[in-house]
Amino acid sequence: MQLPTQQVAVLDAASTDDPQRIEALAADTDYPPETIAGAALALEAEGLVAVTETTTTTVSLTDEGHAYATDGLPEVRLYRAALDAGADDAPVEMGSVIGAAGLDGPQVDIALSNYARKGYGTIDSGALAADPDADPENDPEADALATLTDGDSVDDDAVVDQLASRDLVTVSERTVRSVTLTEAGVTELMAGVEATDEVGELTPELLASGEWADVEFADYNVAADAADHTPGKTHVLRQAAERVTDVLVGMGFQEMAGPHVDADFYINDCLFMPQDHPARNHWDRFALSNPARIDELPDALVERVERAHREGAGDDGDGYHSPWDEDFARALALRGHTTSLTARHLAGLADADVEAPARYFSVEKAYRNDTLDATHLLEFFQIEGWVLADDLSVRDLMGTFREFYSQFGIHDLQFKPTYNPYTEPSFELFGRHPETGELIEIGNSGIFRPEMLDPLDVDGDVMAWGLALERLLMLMTGFEDIRDVHGTLCDVGFLRNAEVVY
Amino acid sequence: MPVVDIDPDELRRLTGHRSKDDDELRQDLFGLGIEYEGETEDGDFKLEFEADRLDRLSVEGIARSLRYHAGDDRGVDIPDTNAPEWAIDVTDVPADRPYVTGAVIRGVDLDADALDSLIQLQEKLHATMGRKRAKGAIGIHDLAMLKGDTVDGDGTAARSLTYTGIDPDGDTFVPLDDDAERTPADVLTEHPTGETYADLLADHDTYPAIYDDIGLFSFPPVINGRRTEVTTDSRELFVELTGTDQWTIDRMCAIICYALDARGATIEDVTVDYPDRELHRPDFAVRTKHVSHDRIETLLGVEFTTEAVVDLAERAGLDATPTDDGYDVEIPPYRVDVRHPVDVVDDLGRAYDFNDLTPRYPDVNTIGGRTESSRLERSVRQALVGLGFEDLLNFNMTSEAENFDRMRLTPDHDAVGAAQPATIAEPYSQDFTILRTWALPSLAMVLETNTHHAYPQDLAEVGFAAHADGDTQTGVAERRTVAAVLARNDASYEDAKARLQALCDEFAVALETPPTTHPSFIDGRAATIEIDGQPAGVIGELHPGVIVEHDVEVPVAGFEFELDALR
Repeated sequence: MQLPTQQVAVLDAASTDDPQRIEALAADTDYPPETIAGAALALEAEGLVAVTETTTTTVSLTDEGHAYATDGLPEVRLYRAALDAGADDAPVEMGSVIGAAGLDGPQVDIALSNYARKGYGTIDSGALAADPDADPENDPEADALATLTDGDSVDDDAVVDQLASRDLVTVSERTVRSVTLTEAGVTELMAGVEATDEVGELTPELLASGEWADVEFADYNVAADAADHTPGKTHVLRQAAERVTDVLVGMGFQEMAGPHVDADFYINDCLFMPQDHPARNHWDRFALSNPARIDELPDALVERVERAHREGAGDDGDGYHSPWDEDFARALALRGHTTSLTARHLAGLADADVEAPARYFSVEKAYRNDTLDATHLLEFFQIEGWVLADDLSVRDLMGTFREFYSQFGIHDLQFKPTYNPYTEPSFELFGRHPETGELIEIGNSGIFRPEMLDPLDVDGDVMAWGLALERLLMLMTGFEDIRDVHGTLCDVGFLRNAEVVY
Repeated sequence: MPVVDIDPDELRRLTGHRSKDDDELRQDLFGLGIEYEGETEDGDFKLEFEADRLDRLSVEGIARSLRYHAGDDRGVDIPDTNAPEWAIDVTDVPADRPYVTGAVIRGVDLDADALDSLIQLQEKLHATMGRKRAKGAIGIHDLAMLKGDTVDGDGTAARSLTYTGIDPDGDTFVPLDDDAERTPADVLTEHPTGETYADLLADHDTYPAIYDDIGLFSFPPVINGRRTEVTTDSRELFVELTGTDQWTIDRMCAIICYALDARGATIEDVTVDYPDRELHRPDFAVRTKHVSHDRIETLLGVEFTTEAVVDLAERAGLDATPTDDGYDVEIPPYRVDVRHPVDVVDDLGRAYDFNDLTPRYPDVNTIGGRTESSRLERSVRQALVGLGFEDLLNFNMTSEAENFDRMRLTPDHDAVGAAQPATIAEPYSQDFTILRTWALPSLAMVLETNTHHAYPQDLAEVGFAAHADGDTQTGVAERRTVAAVLARNDASYEDAKARLQALCDEFAVALETPPTTHPSFIDGRAATIEIDGQPAGVIGELHPGVIVEHDVEVPVAGFEFELDALR
C-alpha cells in the first residue's frame, strides 16, 4: 500500500510489544512531534497502529521550595531555636526566638502559622511554648522536599497537596501518547508499504516546475475553526435604504435631494400647516440660531401660500383663522420631515418644472427633538414618496402602497382614515409584523390638499406617503434597539454581525 | 392627539344603543377612527382621535357621530333658539383680545357626570382650538347669579353685560377656588390658575373683564369669579367666549351649545353689541360647499348615482342638494374641519367605508432613477467597503466639544473641519448643539465607544457635513464628505495613503499629498489631499492628544475629503 512519508516512518519505527512515546518516535524519525501525532492518529484510524494515552503527574519544586529544602522549613527552624531557648520547659518571649532562628520578612508569618498546625508547640500572647515530644527530624513536608530535591517522586498525595497549597511545589499533568503496531500493521508491513510524496503547501515553485502533478497534498483538518476575519461591510441601515431605493426606482420613482436646513416656509407653510399649529412652536423642532432666517423666498409663491392660508383654495374654500407672518415662515430649522423636498420639487425650485405624470422619492434624514429610546432617535431616515398624475383616486393610492409594502413581505395592508393638515383624504397604513403577527402602524399617506397644490402651481393630483426607514428595517429584520445601529454610540460588534439585508 | 375620557354608560344612553356591550361600542368607535387607549380608574374609556373633529371632544359629540354612522340620524340638524334676552356690550376692549361671543342655556339638568363632561369639553377645546386659551377661552356661569340692567325698550335685549378692558389693578373680585378679593393683577401672581395663564396677558396694557350690574364676574382668559360658579344645582347657564378671532370662538361656542342641546337644554340667543356692528350668537349658520359629482368619482375611484351621494352625505351628518354638475353640500355649524370640497369627499368616503374600496395599481408610466450624487455616494461607499472599511452612519448633529475641542481644533483655524457651525437655537441636549462641520470627529467617537472590540477597526463614513455660509440660499453650506480611520497597533500614514490612493485610482482622479499642518494630526505626518490639483481634504496620523482624549490605546491614521472631488 501507499502511505504518506511520515506515516511510513511511524510504521517502521513502531513495534508490537514496546509502546513508543510520540516524542521518542519524533526523535527517531526527525519529524516534529505534532506531525508524528497527526500521522499516528491517521494510522490508528486505518487500524494499523494502536494509540494509548497515559496521564503522568510531575511534581517540581518552586524557588521557595528549593530554598526551604536547603535552609529547612521556617517552622522547623523556629522549633529548633525555641528548644535552644528552653521553651520546652516554660514559654519564652517570641521575638527573641524569631531572631535566633534567623527568620525575617514573610517567613515569620509562615513559621508562626505552620508551627502550631504541625504540633511543634503553642503560641499564646506573644509567648512561645515548644512540645518536647515533637520530631523535626521526621517532618513529612521537609522529607518530601528532600526527596524531590533528589529527583525522586513523592507518593503521599496529601503531603504533595499541602506543599502545593504552600506554593512550595507545582503539580503538572501531562498526557503521553504511545504507539504500538497492530496485527494489521504488521501484515501491511510484511506486504510492503511505500511512501507517497506529500507536501504541506502548494508553492509557486511546485506550479512552475510542474512537480505539483506528482505530489500528494497533506490533508488539513477542514472542519476546524479558522481565525476571525472582519470584512468591510455596508452599514445595515444603509443596506435597508438601498433596498428601499431599489424597489422605488423599480416602480418608476425618481430620487429627490435638497437641503437639511430649510426655511419653515418649505417645511411647513407650503404644506398648509397653520402657523399656530402646536407642532410649529413645539420644542420637538430644531430651530437654528445661526443662521436664523432665510434671506430669499420667491415673492409670488409666498403671496400664493399666504393667500391659501388666509382664504383657502377654490371658490368656496375657507382658510385658517390663524395669523400668518412671512417673518415666521423665514425661520430656519432642521427639516422635521423630508416633505420639504417634495414642496421644493412641486414648486419647481429643485429641478425643472414637474409635470404629470411623475413619481418622486427620497430616503433621507429628518430631525425630530424626541425622547431617545429604543425606537426613537433625534435623526431618522424618512422614506418619502409621491405620485403626480391626472385624476388620482384613493384606490390608486391603495394599489400603489399595497405594491410597495408587498415588496417587503407586508401583505394585507389596512387603511385607517386619519387627519393630516396637508392631505385629504388621509390614511394611516397598518400592516402585520411578519413574525409576531401584530398589527402595527407602518406609514402615513394621503392625497395633497388643493390649498397645498394650488399655490405651488401644480396641475394634477398628488398622492404621497411617508414612513421611517428604521421602522421598516425593524419589521424586516426584527432587531430591537435602534441605538445599537445609528450614531456614535453604535456597537461595532453588532454592526459586524448584523445580517445582510437584500 | 387629543384624548378624551368617556363614560360608556353615558354613551349608551346618549346614542340610544343601550344593548351594546363594551366590545361592540369599541368596534363602533374604531369605525369612526377613534382609538380605544384603555380605561381610567373609574371605568371610563380613554379615547384618542385626530385633531380635526373637535366636535367629538365630548361624549355628546361622539354619541352624535355614532348615531349618524349607524344611520339613526340623517342630515344637518340645527337646534331651535329662543329670542335674546341678554346682550353683551363691547366697550374699550383690550386690543389683543377684541372678540367675544356667547349664549344663554336654559333648562339644563346637570348631574355630576354631565357637569364633568361639560368641564372636560371646555378644557379640551381650550387645549386644541383655543390654543391653550390664547386664541379662544370659555367661561361658563350660573345665569341665576347674574344681574343685568334693563336696556332700552327696543325689544332686542332686556338685560346687558359688558365686555371691557380694565386697569390690571382697577377692580377686585373673588376668583374660583379662592376666598379673597383680588385684583386681576394679583390673581396672576397669587392664584395658581392665574400663575398658569399669566403669560397670555404679559403684553396687555388693560386686562379683559366682564361685568354685570353687580360687578366684575369674569376675568378671561384666566378665571371666572366665584359668584357665578356652575354646580349641579345650576338650571340656567351663561356661556361667554373671548379671543383673538371671532370665527374661532363662534365655532367653539357652537360645539358647546350642541353638547348641551343633546342633553335637552334650550339655547337662547345673545346679542353681541360691538361699537360698529351687532351680532346674534350662537352662530348656527350653515355653510355650503359646492362639490362636483365628477370630483367625488375621480377622488374615490367609484361611480355613484346621485341618490347614493345624497344618502352618503346624510349619513355623514351633511345635506347634499343636487345641482347641474354636482351638489351644494350644507355643513353644520359645529364642523370646524371642512375648508374645501375635498373635505366633503372625505366625509363621503368615510360614510361609504374606505376599506370597501378595491385597490388598483395606477396606469401611470414614469421612469425611475437616482440622482447623480446619490449614485456617486453609493459607489464610493462600495469602494470603501471593498478596501476593507466598515461603513458607518453617524448623527449629523453633534456638539462643539466633540466637533472642535476634542479634536484640538477651533472654528477659526485654517484647517479642514474648521468653520463656523450651523447652531441649534434651543438645544435639547448638550450633546447636540450644532451640525457637524466634518466627519472625522464622529469616527473618533465610534472608536471611543468600541475600545472593547477587536482591532483592527477600519471605519469609514460617506455622510453629511455643513457650516454657516451667508453666500448660500439657506445660509448653510451643506456637502457630502468622505472620512475614514484605521485603528490598529501598527496604523501608519502609509496605510491611510495606500487606501486613499486606491480609492482615487478607482475614480480615475489624480492624488497628490503635499505636507501640511493640522491641529488634529501629528506635525510632519499630515498632508493636504489634492485631487486633480484642487485641495479637497486632509490625511495623516491622528495626534496622540486626540487619540488619548478618546481613550483609544492604538495609533490611528485617517483622512477626510469632499465627496464631490471624486466626480
